[in-house]
Amino acid sequence: MSPPTDALKHDIKQLIMNTLGINDVDIKEIDDEKPLFGGDNALTLDSVDAIEIIMAIQRTYGIRISDQHLAREVVRSINSIAKFISDNQATLKN
Amino acid sequence: MIISNFDHKMAAHCESGTITSLLKYAGLDITEPLVFGISSGIFFGYFHKSKSFAFPTFIVRSRPGQMRKNIEKRLGLRFTSYTFNDPVKGMYTLDQLLSKNIPTACQVDFFYMDYVPSWEKVHINVHFMVAVGKEGDTYKISDSYFPTMVELNHSALEKGRFAGGSMSPKGFIFHTDKIPQTIDYQSAITKGIKKACFNMLKIPLPFIGIRGMRMFAKKIMEWPNLARDTEHLSHEIMKINILLEDQGTGGAGFRFMYATFLQQASEIIQKPQLKELSKQLMEIGDGWREISLFSARIGKNRDLGQDKLKQLSDMISDRAQVEEMFFNQLAKTIH
Repeated sequence: MSPPTDALKHDIKQLIMNTLGINDVDIKEIDDEKPLFGGDNALTLDSVDAIEIIMAIQRTYGIRISDQHLAREVVRSINSIAKFISDNQATLKN
Repeated sequence: MIISNFDHKMAAHCESGTITSLLKYAGLDITEPLVFGISSGIFFGYFHKSKSFAFPTFIVRSRPGQMRKNIEKRLGLRFTSYTFNDPVKGMYTLDQLLSKNIPTACQVDFFYMDYVPSWEKVHINVHFMVAVGKEGDTYKISDSYFPTMVELNHSALEKGRFAGGSMSPKGFIFHTDKIPQTIDYQSAITKGIKKACFNMLKIPLPFIGIRGMRMFAKKIMEWPNLARDTEHLSHEIMKINILLEDQGTGGAGFRFMYATFLQQASEIIQKPQLKELSKQLMEIGDGWREISLFSARIGKNRDLGQDKLKQLSDMISDRAQVEEMFFNQLAKTIH
């Protein structure tokens, strides 16, 4: 499987900001690897935001994250979300 | 002594995950959704404020212990179980079983599991995990909520197994005893689905199944009168999200797990209609997830006016309507 592209990561950041109505963060300041929850990333989110993001991923990419343990892993960072989408898109194509 | 060939796997729910792990170790090729579905784990019950419940609550699965009993009956297998009044005897019995290489499921209060990060600790007396060995004073534990095996000392395990309060574990442990050579999955799946449909549609109590969902939709409008203040109401409304999404439900109040069961069952018993129903239930689950999100959002924002509660009530009524159609269709398909 090919690694997620920078374009995908950018789209994810945009999706999160649009979904959560965030307009006071510069998208370039969001770190790809730093945790989105409880860390020192430019975006600091909470558990309610996590559900919003999970549902936004489903609506936008057609991928349902049903299991909450997996969901926790997926929404950890921009990189983990991008990897999950990229892997699942590849699976769907195959 | 550690049982080295015990395969640790994460699971959506602790009870179905624990049963699945034990059955797999005993040589049965079964998945967690199959265990959940065959044991008729899907359920709904609403409990309004009463002597037993300080504030209204709801459940989305059968009561603890029922999955084990149902899977035993439907697959024709046997677990041996024990409860204890004496903690010393309870710990000794567990050690004896482990010394015989028998992985043993334990009911515990989640709070005392020292491998749980402090911010996730909560008193739940009906958490299940599997003890798979002991070295010195330390137990090796397969807890399906954790990605790898964990360790727990004697004192913490004893506290967890003999915690007090509602539904106290009383040292309850169980392990597989007899697994049949052949299993009639056709019959087990059919009986499991029929019972689930009965529970959701036919139990003549206003707070159970679809009737319970309708009661929930109606009674939630009264919650502001039952709460101490806005903070309390907000906490209780946000708990809807926790009960649906964050307490080992596999997402959407077990609806996604039951949908996966139907998909797997359709292949095992060669009934393609179940696959279609599985897709329907996934979509129904999405609606429960919308409820979860809506509750979390209005709770977090303290936006708890009657208009918002009415919106929430309507969303729950809508789930009652679609689940009533779904379970009626499922009952007809399996008849």
